[in-house]
Amino acid sequence: MRWSIRLASALAIASLPLSATAQQHAGHAAGPDDAEVRRQRAWDERVAIASPLSVGAALDARGHLWLARVENRHLRVSHSADGGRSFSDPVAVTPQPEAVTADAENRPKIAVGADGSVHVSWTQSLGKPMSAYIRYARSTDGGRTFSPPAILNDDRQMISHRFDALAVEGRGRVAVVWLDARSRSGKTVNKSPQTDVGLYAAVSEDGGENFGKNRRVADHSCQCCRTGLTWTSAGPIAFWRHVFGRNIRDFAIADLNGGPVLRVTDDEWEIDGCPHHGGGIAADGRGNLHIAWFTNGKKRKGIFYRRVAQTDFSKSAAPLDMSVPLALGEPARQAGHPAVAASGDRVLLTWREFDGQRFSAWAMLSQDAGQSWDAPQKIAEAAQQADFTLPLLDARQALVVWNTAAEGLRVLPVAEAQP
Amino acid sequence: MRRACLAVLLALAAATSSAGELRPFTTDSLAAIRQQFAGRPFILTLWSLTCHHCAKELQTLGKLASSERNLPLVIVSTDTSDDARELRAALKRHGLDRLDTWVFADAVPERLRYAIDPSWRGELPRSYLFDVAHRREAHSGLLNEAQLKGWLNRQRAGG
Repeated sequence: MRWSIRLASALAIASLPLSATAQQHAGHAAGPDDAEVRRQRAWDERVAIASPLSVGAALDARGHLWLARVENRHLRVSHSADGGRSFSDPVAVTPQPEAVTADAENRPKIAVGADGSVHVSWTQSLGKPMSAYIRYARSTDGGRTFSPPAILNDDRQMISHRFDALAVEGRGRVAVVWLDARSRSGKTVNKSPQTDVGLYAAVSEDGGENFGKNRRVADHSCQCCRTGLTWTSAGPIAFWRHVFGRNIRDFAIADLNGGPVLRVTDDEWEIDGCPHHGGGIAADGRGNLHIAWFTNGKKRKGIFYRRVAQTDFSKSAAPLDMSVPLALGEPARQAGHPAVAASGDRVLLTWREFDGQRFSAWAMLSQDAGQSWDAPQKIAEAAQQADFTLPLLDARQALVVWNTAAEGLRVLPVAEAQP
Repeated sequence: MRRACLAVLLALAAATSSAGELRPFTTDSLAAIRQQFAGRPFILTLWSLTCHHCAKELQTLGKLASSERNLPLVIVSTDTSDDARELRAALKRHGLDRLDTWVFADAVPERLRYAIDPSWRGELPRSYLFDVAHRREAHSGLLNEAQLKGWLNRQRAGG
């Protein structure tokens, strides 16, 4: 009800100045390229969106595809046993409608354990800009029903808790990290006002039934880039855009088992602002980390990939063994929003490009844990708005989930040379 | 309740239809803005409700607007018309609601970003300082009052 009023208000505000313009134009036949008509149509489209494009996707141990998406203010989960050709009827995770954040850097997350348990996390937007809670629910009956959504941030302040990332170990442990503004209201307030958000974590040892106390992993993170989380044999490793020194917004990792904050990019991006553009992480079968990220730094600009060799990240004081950053995509086409998946020794990188009119989805595969790469492939184009690309990889398949406004949800296989 | 709400909004919209109207920004809006400022310098600032630093940027601009008469400033939000109410509230809070304000209006907002500047990757706040000849200087992140005043004074001094 509150929503319908809000929507009606938005419509009223939106249409008033424009309807006056439309009337002025009623006297002559408006051509298809009439700027006012285009403007009106674009405006109406934006107001009407009930099904945001930003989705979450995962593969289970059988290779079935799982999807979490927001429709009419509900978070819904469905799955496909045939590579995305058909999906089960969606099951609502949210018993009541709520403002599930699904826009670009924020999206619902889904992960499936080896035991078939299905886990979802999301950011619930509250009544004022940027204030939100981190939510979690799970299914232990193959996605037929979900537990009542829990709130994972244990401070319950009406402040920013956003940009969640989720990982499951496969033998019962579940971890969620997010960016949290609570240190702003506490005693750890930092002298520079732009570095008062930190990375927090909640870990469950019993398959998501209970979570331990929130733990602060790091102070002074960047505020509005997506975070990443992956599980190695040693434990969960988080990846996020950190603030180094006064204001250098490069990336860091930390082992959630109390490991130190380790810098993994040195692009020297100093900005008193919000990049709104993060990166991704995946661990391969040998525990090497694969990261992909965006930067507009002094040393390099664009999207990049690097491999961080396996080590004990929980106490690594020695310098990390990292490959030279590999530039991805075409900078002139705004190559951006890279993501990475790994399985055994295979690694799949995906990203999105935009030529001013159309988006395209790109993918690139490695068969040797990121040491050499096949040529990048353009796997699809989109006529209208498009989500980021989501790479999915297991021993049998390499897929990219790409949700697009005109063509719908696409599950695109990546052509793979037979080893 | 709903009717009362709409009535208030109608009244508000009527009262502010000339000045302080949140105008839809489309791919041809920058050309229109440049025409409006033909032969004059101006500042174009892009911001969003979702941007942590942008409230501070608005605060700076609000202070500047209160000390500079006829500040040649255009403020464009990269949010959507869905956020009109919050956008108006934020602009009003900083005394910027009577200025030339816009909000992105395209189903593909990246097209608007690209139309403004293909090398802008979406970081916010983002500012463009257009001189008399409309040669522009791009800046990512916060600008402070001294920087903006210095620039304005240089424009007034003719260079």
